[in-house]
Amino acid sequence: MHSFLDYIRLYFIIETQYIKARMQYRADFIISSFGMFFSSLATLGIFWIIFNSIPELAGWTFMQLVFIYGFYMIAISPMQILFDHIWQIRFHVQQGTFLKYYFRPLNMMFYYMSEMFDIKGLTQLAAGVAILIYASIQLGIDWTLLRIALLLLTLFSASLVQISITLMAGCAAFWVLDSYPVLGLAWKLREFAPYPMNIFDGAFRFTFTFIIPLGFVAFYPSQLFLQPQDVSPLVYFSPLVGIGLFALTYWVWTLGVNSYTGTGS
Amino acid sequence: MSLIHIQNLNKHFKVLNRREGIGGAFRDLFSGSYRTVKAVDDISFDIEAGEIVGYIGPNGAGKSTTIKMMTGILKPSGGTLQVNGLMPYNNRIKQAQIMGVVFGQRTQLWWDLPVIESFKILREIYKVDQKMFDRHMGMFDELVGLKTLYSQQVRTLSLGQRMLCDIAASFLHNPQVVFLDEPTIGLDISVKAKIRSLIKTLNAERNTTIILTTHDLGDVEALCQRIIIIDKGKILYDGDIKRVTALFGAYRTLKLQIDNYADSTLQSLQEKLTEHFGADNGCTIAQTEEFWTDVTFDQARTPLSDVLGQVMANFRVSDVRIVEISMESVVQQVYDGALR
Repeated sequence: MHSFLDYIRLYFIIETQYIKARMQYRADFIISSFGMFFSSLATLGIFWIIFNSIPELAGWTFMQLVFIYGFYMIAISPMQILFDHIWQIRFHVQQGTFLKYYFRPLNMMFYYMSEMFDIKGLTQLAAGVAILIYASIQLGIDWTLLRIALLLLTLFSASLVQISITLMAGCAAFWVLDSYPVLGLAWKLREFAPYPMNIFDGAFRFTFTFIIPLGFVAFYPSQLFLQPQDVSPLVYFSPLVGIGLFALTYWVWTLGVNSYTGTGS
Repeated sequence: MSLIHIQNLNKHFKVLNRREGIGGAFRDLFSGSYRTVKAVDDISFDIEAGEIVGYIGPNGAGKSTTIKMMTGILKPSGGTLQVNGLMPYNNRIKQAQIMGVVFGQRTQLWWDLPVIESFKILREIYKVDQKMFDRHMGMFDELVGLKTLYSQQVRTLSLGQRMLCDIAASFLHNPQVVFLDEPTIGLDISVKAKIRSLIKTLNAERNTTIILTTHDLGDVEALCQRIIIIDKGKILYDGDIKRVTALFGAYRTLKLQIDNYADSTLQSLQEKLTEHFGADNGCTIAQTEEFWTDVTFDQARTPLSDVLGQVMANFRVSDVRIVEISMESVVQQVYDGALR
C-alpha cells in the first residue's frame, strides 16, 4: 500500500524521467510552448477588439475581464499539465491497452495520468500568473493575507471544476464507441468560461451554473476579488463546487474502470 | 491451501441480440432483447505454488476471461475465485503486489524511457529493496544479457527484446504468480528459445507459479508439466502434459495442392489411403482453404514418407507443405474422445 507521500515521490520520479525524455525533442518543446503562449493571448485580443467599440460589457470593464481571464488561465492549467492523458483514453480503451493500468499496485487514475506531463502547459500557467498580477495592479486590488489564501483556495477549486468536466467527458469512452465528440464538446465549451455569466441569457446561464458549471472555473470565484461587497450567495459555494464535482467524477471513473472488460487478445 | 483456488467459477456476459440490416440496427436501439453468453461456464481447478500451468484453448474459448478474473479486472458472475486466499476483484491493489502480468504484445514499460529507468520506476512502485533489485537485475543480465539494452528507449526495442524486458520486469518484485499471455507470439525461433529458458529458470529459482496462455504448442511442451484445455467456457482436460503431447506430438498435417482438383478428389484420396493403410488408418482429410487439401495423420501409424508416397503415386501435386498440428485440431481431437 502506498501513502500519499509515496505517490508524490513516485509522481516526481516518473515525471522527471518523462520530462528528460521529452526534452530530447527540443524543437517540439519550443514550438509548442510558443504556440500555447500565443493562443492564450488570442482571447485577450478579442476582448481588446470588443472594448474598442463599447466601454463595458454587461457592467464589466476591460481590466476586470483581463483579471477573469488571468484567473481562468491559471485554473485550466492543472488540467492541461497533469491530466492531459485523458485525451488518449479512447484509444487505450478501444485497443485494449487500457488493461495494463490494472496490473500495478497503484491507484488507477494516478497511474494512468502519470504517464503524461504536458510541459507546454507551464507556459500557459506562467502567462496566466503574469496576466492576473498585471490586472490586479491595474485594478488596485488590495492583497491582504486573507485574500491571497482565498485566491489559492478558489483557484484550487476552480481547477478541480475544469478537471472534472473534462475527465467526466473523457470517461464516456468506457461506454461510447467513439467518445471524441463528447470530449471535444467539453473542450469547446470551456471557451465560454472566461466571460461574465450575466452576458448569457437564462437557459445558458442556468446550464453553465448548475449543469456544466463552467461559471465556477473563473467568473464566480473572480467576483470575490473584483466586487467583494456585492456578490451573489452562489459565489460563496465556489470553493466547494470543485471538490464535490471531482468526487462525482472520480465515482464515474471508478464505475467505468469497473465495467471495462477489455478486448479479446 | 493452494495458491489459486477456483470452484464453480462463472462469467456471463449479456449481449444484445442484433438484427440484420439498417432497419434492424435501428430497432436494436430500443431493443431489450438480450441473450447470455457463458464465457466461463462452471470451471474448477487448483494451482499450487511453483507450478507452471499451460492454459490453452482456441480463440474465444474463455482463456482471457479467466485470466482477467484472476488478475482482478473482471468480476466473476458466480463461484469462488481466490488467489493467495483473496478475491482479486475486491482487492486489486493488494493482489497486484503479488502478481506479475505480461499481456501479449502490449508493453507495460514506459514507452519513451530507457529500459533501465522503467525498472527503476518499478522498483519504486513495488518497493523492491536495493539488494533484491541488484540481485534480480544481475540475474536478468546473466540469463538474457539485459545490460546491453539498459540505455535504449523502449520504443526502439525490437519485439523480441521488448518481450524479454517485459517478462523480466514482471518478475522484478518477486511475485508469487506470473500470468504470461502469448509471450512468444510473432517471435522467431531463437528468441522463442531465449524466452522459454528465461521463464523456466525464473520459475526454478524463485518457485514462482506461472500461468501461461499460448497458441504455440511448442511453448507448452517446453515449459509446462500440467495443462488445462478450455473450450466454449468449459474445461476439456486438466492433467499431465504427457498425454496431450502424445496426442499432438505425433500428428502432422500434410497440405497439398492437387492439380485438376474436383469435388470427387477428396473422396478418391480417402479411398486410396484406405486401400493402402486399411480402414482404421487415423488419417483425416479436409479442405480448409481454397486449393489446399489437408491430410492429418499419425506419424506413429502411418509414416510421413508413406503417406506422401501414396499421394504422389496417385495424384498430380503441384505444391506441398507440412505443418505441425494446430491448437484447434488438438481441441477437436480431445472432443472426439482422444483423452478418454
